[in-house]
Amino acid sequence: MSRLLAAIGARALSASTELGGMVIMLLHIFRGIFTWQMDVMETWRNLYKVGVKSFPIVVVTALLVGAIMVIQTGALVAQYDAYGLLGWGAGFATLREVGPIMIGLMFSGRVGANNTAELGTMKVTEQVDALRALAIDPMTYLLVPRFVSIVLMMFLLTIVGDLTALLGGALTAQLLLGVEPLLFFWSIDEYLLTEDLFNGLYKAFTFGFAIAVVSCHFGITTSGGAVGVGRAVNASVVASAVSIFVLDYLLTYLLG
Amino acid sequence: MIEVRGVTKYYGRTAVLNNVSMVVHEGTQLGLIGPGGAGKTLLIKIMSGLVKPDAGKVFVDGEEVTALGPVALSKLRVKMGMLFQNYALFDFMTVEENIAFPLRQKNELPDAEIRERVAQILKAVDLPGIQRQFPNELSGGMKKRVTFARAVIHDPPILFYDDPTAGLDPVTSSKIFILLERRRNEKGTTSVVITHDILGVKDICDEFAMLDHGRLIFRGTREEIENTRLPRVRQFWEGKAEL
Amino acid sequence: MSEEQATMQAGELAPPAELRTGFIHDVVGALGEPVLHVYREVRNILGLMLLTFFYTVFRRIGWSAVFEQAFNVGNRSLFFITVVLGFLGMILIFQSGFQAQKIVGDLQMLGALYVQMLFREFAPTITALMLATRVGTGIAAEIASMVVTEQVDALRMNNADPVQYLVVPRFIATLVMTVALSCVSLVVAFTSGMMLGWGAFGINPATFYNTALLEWGDLIIFLLKSTAYGIAVPIIAAEAGLSAFGGSEGVGWATTKSVVNASLAVTFLDFLLSGFGYVVLFS
Repeated sequence: MSRLLAAIGARALSASTELGGMVIMLLHIFRGIFTWQMDVMETWRNLYKVGVKSFPIVVVTALLVGAIMVIQTGALVAQYDAYGLLGWGAGFATLREVGPIMIGLMFSGRVGANNTAELGTMKVTEQVDALRALAIDPMTYLLVPRFVSIVLMMFLLTIVGDLTALLGGALTAQLLLGVEPLLFFWSIDEYLLTEDLFNGLYKAFTFGFAIAVVSCHFGITTSGGAVGVGRAVNASVVASAVSIFVLDYLLTYLLG
Repeated sequence: MIEVRGVTKYYGRTAVLNNVSMVVHEGTQLGLIGPGGAGKTLLIKIMSGLVKPDAGKVFVDGEEVTALGPVALSKLRVKMGMLFQNYALFDFMTVEENIAFPLRQKNELPDAEIRERVAQILKAVDLPGIQRQFPNELSGGMKKRVTFARAVIHDPPILFYDDPTAGLDPVTSSKIFILLERRRNEKGTTSVVITHDILGVKDICDEFAMLDHGRLIFRGTREEIENTRLPRVRQFWEGKAEL
Repeated sequence: MSEEQATMQAGELAPPAELRTGFIHDVVGALGEPVLHVYREVRNILGLMLLTFFYTVFRRIGWSAVFEQAFNVGNRSLFFITVVLGFLGMILIFQSGFQAQKIVGDLQMLGALYVQMLFREFAPTITALMLATRVGTGIAAEIASMVVTEQVDALRMNNADPVQYLVVPRFIATLVMTVALSCVSLVVAFTSGMMLGWGAFGINPATFYNTALLEWGDLIIFLLKSTAYGIAVPIIAAEAGLSAFGGSEGVGWATTKSVVNASLAVTFLDFLLSGFGYVVLFS
């Protein structure tokens, strides 16, 4: 029995250590942002890397997600012969839930993993120590630009993704179900509220926040050579995924 | 005998190996030297068939390595052993399983005899009794000796040693070079030794070759390299910072 | 060899024609590069898949390795999957319950529709996405570390085929565990949804547990999807791992590539199989 308790205790301790580390790192980052100590070149470079280079993946994912949502809702709608609700049904689910979650997961994979990998490699090859030796604060130089880029780009790309998903859905509706795009978009216009869009965007912002914090934390605390980098990336994407779902639930509950 | 003819390999737009040709006769121990990044590791990987060149051919004992399919290549590999620069020990296996691997793959000997051989060779490299340990529990010198044991346990007539003494202290380095020399003397192996330790390898290699930026700039005997007038080779051989 | 001969031998070959540069060449290259890149990736992945199938069927399988991997993939992911799908269940019921109340007013069919959605879409797909992150990166990281520390070369030098040795056990283990965990996800998500339905909307669990709408087609789609995902994720992760090069940076790059490719593949397969399901099974 005591072994089980010890195991639970150890897990809890390690989880709280990670969490504590993230909070402290976050404080450093905020201080960097609010005292405007960002390295402009690094920030620009990261905005490009995170945003522009993730664009194709987000677009492809969004198209597919929109199509899938229409296919699934389509089966239901056909049963009740309620084609006028197709746009609403698919659109609602996409904007509020599936869009931010899928884009968040894709983002966590593409950007979060990459970020942790880069930071992790820098840490194990002692580049971070080298920065400190040159009197450059790794937090402001490395982390703040990445943090800002990830949060900003997640938000912007979700907007793009939402639109693309709806387009993908409309296309699928026409091709598979024979629903006119006009009807599809009318349904969206009629039943969906701006609130639904913003709901999803708040979530996107939060997810971006979580991905940024988690990936930076696991990256900058990597140890153990090449194997350690692999482990750090693994931990980072797992933690991001769990955070996305937990946060999604909390936000769904809070935002109604 | 190993023959390399006009081997070239590109990574992107750079020629990492550029038109390299040479012969390593049977029973010779060749010292392959040159600055870092000159293509030495790549060359032995091409010789052993692990990498295919973009141009050129390699012949081992008359067979064209570069043209062989996987089945024929595996038959050829039985004749070879390689000591890797970064140990390349399987970190999910014990020392014993690592060293016995080549023998178990051949599947010709009974298990008891394999274990006996492993014990013998561990004694020969001065590491008796560590069979049950895992690679990450060993020091660098110990790992290098285990890698050596794994490379030679199946008595291959052709051996490739990639930087066998990298990062080791002087005493351990000597021990490793003694092992190399003994193997050549006792078994008459054909071997290629990549090294930066010119002093250590001077006396145990019969012939030398030097690569610089992918090109073979010297190929000759111990006497020839001692007396060479080629500036780059001279500089490297004597370990001088400036020409 | 004389000195003159040595210097002569250091003659250079001109770079082959394909590597010469020019403006038009560069522009066309920049446009075509992504297409070629995608083509090469897909070709490598399919090649590895066929090779893995071949070795699985026609060669001896190291079952102890398979069981070890199965433990890694399955048992270790259990907690993670349970947490994620538990929350997902709650989210889905919360959202649909709210909307159903507003638009339709009656929550009777909620359980029935929900369980159908779980079978057709959410259980297999979300499980696979989660496994793509956890297991996919794990496999890619392990194999990539072995590649950059030359252990894979050492395997080949000793005539052990890395695909047979490393990929096949992970493939079998992941395939089996993906299907198994998808079943677990069904149960978990359904239960959490049912709890929330009761707690937030007062839906009687007995009403919620309504399998009236379930058809054979739903089960077939569920199995098809989880099997397809279970094949895709480990193969893509292994391909990413095997293509690594260059030290710790290479390992990081391989793990990223595996997550991205695996997630895209799951999404794409989801699209294909959902479409197939709609057209073939439900019309």
